[in-house]
Amino acid sequence: MPGSTLFLIGLVQAVLVLLAAPLFTGLSRTLRAKIHSRKGPDILQDYRDILKLIKRQEVVPAQAGWVFRATPYVLMATVLLLAMMIPILTLQAPMGLAGDLIAVVYLLTVFRFFFSLAGLDSGSIFAGIGASREMALGVLTEPAIILVLFVIALLSGSTDLGTISQKVAAGAFSYSSPVVWLGMVAFAVATFIETGKLPYDLAEAEQEIQEGPLTEFSGRGLALLKWSLGIKQVVVIALFLAVFFPFGSAAALSFSSLLISMILFLLKVAFCYVIAALLENSMARLLLFKAPAVTWGVFGIALLSFVFYVASS
Amino acid sequence: MMALQIFLLSIFLYIAGALLSLAMNKSEKTANYASAGCAILASCAGMVSAVPVLAGGTGFMVETAGIVPFAKFAIKMDPLSALMILVISLLTLATAIYSLSYQQEYAGRGIGVLGFLNNLFIASMILVVTSDNAFYFLVFWELMTLISYFLVCFEHNKKEAVHAGFIYLVVAHAGAVLIMISFILFYLQTGTFDFSSFRSANLSPVIKDLAFVLAFFGFGAKAGIMPLHIWLPQAHPAAPSNVSSLMSGVMIKTAVYGILRVGIDFLGASVWWWGLTVLAFGAVSAVFGMLYAMGENDLKRQLAYSSIENVGIILMGVGVGMIGIAGGQPVLGALGILAGLYHLINHAVFKGLLFLGAGSVIYRIHTKNMEEMGGLARQMPWTGFAFLTGALAISAIPPLNGFVSEWFLYQSLFLASTTGIPAVKVVSPLFAVMLALTGALAAMCFVKAYGVAFGGPSRSDRAREAREVPGPMLAGMLILAAGCAVLGLGSPVVAPYLAHVAAAMQGTAPVRVSAGLLVFPGSSSQAMLSTSVMVLLLAGLLVFPLLIVGIQGGTKAGRRVDAVPWACGYSFTSRMASTSTAFSQPLQVLFHPAYRLRTILLEAGHRIASMAGKSVVYIERMDSMWERFIYGPLARSTIRLGQRMQVIQVGNVRWYCLYIIVTLVVLLTATVR
Repeated sequence: MPGSTLFLIGLVQAVLVLLAAPLFTGLSRTLRAKIHSRKGPDILQDYRDILKLIKRQEVVPAQAGWVFRATPYVLMATVLLLAMMIPILTLQAPMGLAGDLIAVVYLLTVFRFFFSLAGLDSGSIFAGIGASREMALGVLTEPAIILVLFVIALLSGSTDLGTISQKVAAGAFSYSSPVVWLGMVAFAVATFIETGKLPYDLAEAEQEIQEGPLTEFSGRGLALLKWSLGIKQVVVIALFLAVFFPFGSAAALSFSSLLISMILFLLKVAFCYVIAALLENSMARLLLFKAPAVTWGVFGIALLSFVFYVASS
Repeated sequence: MMALQIFLLSIFLYIAGALLSLAMNKSEKTANYASAGCAILASCAGMVSAVPVLAGGTGFMVETAGIVPFAKFAIKMDPLSALMILVISLLTLATAIYSLSYQQEYAGRGIGVLGFLNNLFIASMILVVTSDNAFYFLVFWELMTLISYFLVCFEHNKKEAVHAGFIYLVVAHAGAVLIMISFILFYLQTGTFDFSSFRSANLSPVIKDLAFVLAFFGFGAKAGIMPLHIWLPQAHPAAPSNVSSLMSGVMIKTAVYGILRVGIDFLGASVWWWGLTVLAFGAVSAVFGMLYAMGENDLKRQLAYSSIENVGIILMGVGVGMIGIAGGQPVLGALGILAGLYHLINHAVFKGLLFLGAGSVIYRIHTKNMEEMGGLARQMPWTGFAFLTGALAISAIPPLNGFVSEWFLYQSLFLASTTGIPAVKVVSPLFAVMLALTGALAAMCFVKAYGVAFGGPSRSDRAREAREVPGPMLAGMLILAAGCAVLGLGSPVVAPYLAHVAAAMQGTAPVRVSAGLLVFPGSSSQAMLSTSVMVLLLAGLLVFPLLIVGIQGGTKAGRRVDAVPWACGYSFTSRMASTSTAFSQPLQVLFHPAYRLRTILLEAGHRIASMAGKSVVYIERMDSMWERFIYGPLARSTIRLGQRMQVIQVGNVRWYCLYIIVTLVVLLTATVR
């Protein structure tokens, strides 16, 4: 495909994720209310919240430096870049030339870095605790994520996400192989942790530490941050789908195939959100120091997948 | 021949600067200008002499008889030496500009002597990486160690500096002895000290193994690999910051140079487990170096620990390269060495920058303790900006330079796990995991460093009254900050030069690693990376949030900057903000076996005292497990051995006469027989 077309597809992906993210976070809220037997907000509430917040005056603590003010913008640009680099509509990574899966994992670290730095910069104690937890969680999950992705990349012979999607969609390796399904389980749990859903919303725990690094944000900063957090959830799920379930994404380039893959993508993400909602609402909060038990488990599963890979190669 | 003259000019300028500075010690300002000015000119000359060689030139070599009969004095510039000279000169340029103002911190304490030592230190490093004779290599190596020892102990009225210097001297000499033995093994075979004959030396496999292992640990002690790192976190912070910057930025790299020289150039990396050993030690150093950096509240100690981490990453690249060469895979060899060398330059630039940033903070508020800093980005915006750039680069945040070299390392590990020999194939992905863990830890560590020192509220009066540092210091830092960006965005330009160096070391054709704005590991089907496209896209995508805010009229709502952070209804004080200790606490719990936590509560009746409103002192100290399990017992048993040996010191002259006679008899019988 020519570069300009790929760039356009990338842009469409970014806009799609940007527009759809509040819908999914809204869906998450609606489902949560349903499971709690509450009436709850309707599915479009998050759009209204964000638009309203943008119009509100921003209150900034006097302590905060420019990092605090720039962070909402940096974070949104970063997650949108991720949306352009991950194969969402096609089996090719639209901006695959900007970077491969390692770049994608490290861009997720950029998000974490600035999110947590803004928390420390605000001077709030809640934000400080949240910042610390956010980075600690990264330390716990990143090794497992890299290991799974590395094994899948080894199976595909390339660390390019597009190549991986194409191989998986072409049925190059079967799901019955323990390498793949163990990797999938590990990556699914890691994705769930990365989305910051309830047992792992350690950094932005509303009930416990006032949404952590978000504590001091308000007005347009808060709106952009909430939006970016929503986009990050969708992007992380899109990464999971691109590596393990790329089916339906357009192999050739035509308007109808792109439209079908767009609808399929939205359905797949919605399905993931439903499962996440069920998990999220059936679990209690997790103590911070209980989290490693789970993440070590995830790493163990990823390691097992790697061992099967070694044994089979 | 021009390059040689310029090179000699640069050495001459360093020495002239040193002597002038010493001669003018009385007038400190002039001495400082003389030493820094000469260093600036000399570093420019050094770069001019090195660049043509890197760009594909042939290099040069000179030999003279030298002062000792058994060794020729030989200087040789090949691509690897040229790269080292370029890195040393680049950092020298920045630190010399910086020290124009920074040295005032040491006014009245011998600025002239400091300039003298500093210039000689740089000259000795340059001579180490260009010497082509083992004898002179060791002479300059030793000179480098001694001068840096004096620099570490420069503040000799501080007990910790003297203590750090002692440990440094002991470890450095233990390492030097190993290097000497390794060179003597070559000498026994070849009969000369020339490196050129070392290259063609025909050693037996066992001797080769021995020579490599000795050289690896000898140089490793200087590079600060775990568990020989013990001196590094003490010595580097004790020196003046511009010297710490040079020590961490380039001095420990001369040890990496030594490993490359002996392992690849002399011995041809002929055995695969050498590479694996280097890789494993590198990975362990990387992970543990960062874990200990996390636990530090002293800004400079934290940076020193992170140097251990980065040397680990460099050695991982070197290890993969050696595995590739041993396995006859030139692409893997080139990629590994490229990753290592790229990170070597990058680390020199961002660690140099971070140490200079730490120096700027110390210059203003005279403490290394992060918990007494806070909010400095408001008072020192440019220093804050430069430090943040360095922090982002060292945390491997794309698109800055640290990410590019780690990316190449991932790609070389990926290649090793697809095409290497079975043992390497199995372990390579696990090393990638260790690299990922290191990356995540580094990000956490430098979020802490910037967030606690430069973000949030001012945590002490001195921090509140800090001002921006003078122009030359800013210039020194901003040069290096620009270097981080250039080395990251310019990766398609930089990488081919390094591929050329790697190819020259292996004696193969260079691997293609870039095209247009892209870099790739040998083949573009394995992976692609374009940091410049990434930046363009990021800048373009910034339009979205700006547009959203603009359309919705968000800017009209304005911004109120008067609030204090919310503190549950209490009035906020700066002591409520998260501290360095608090930030790293989750990791101390998660990785507790690696640490040794000591908490001390002073005052016996602390419960009662605290109830009576008296202040109670609480001290928490963290040591590494190496100190507990290796160095503690080692030191104790040495002392015990010494005490046992004291038995023969009875203090009676007749006994001593007896000892002398017994010794004489033993020696006589041993020789006469």
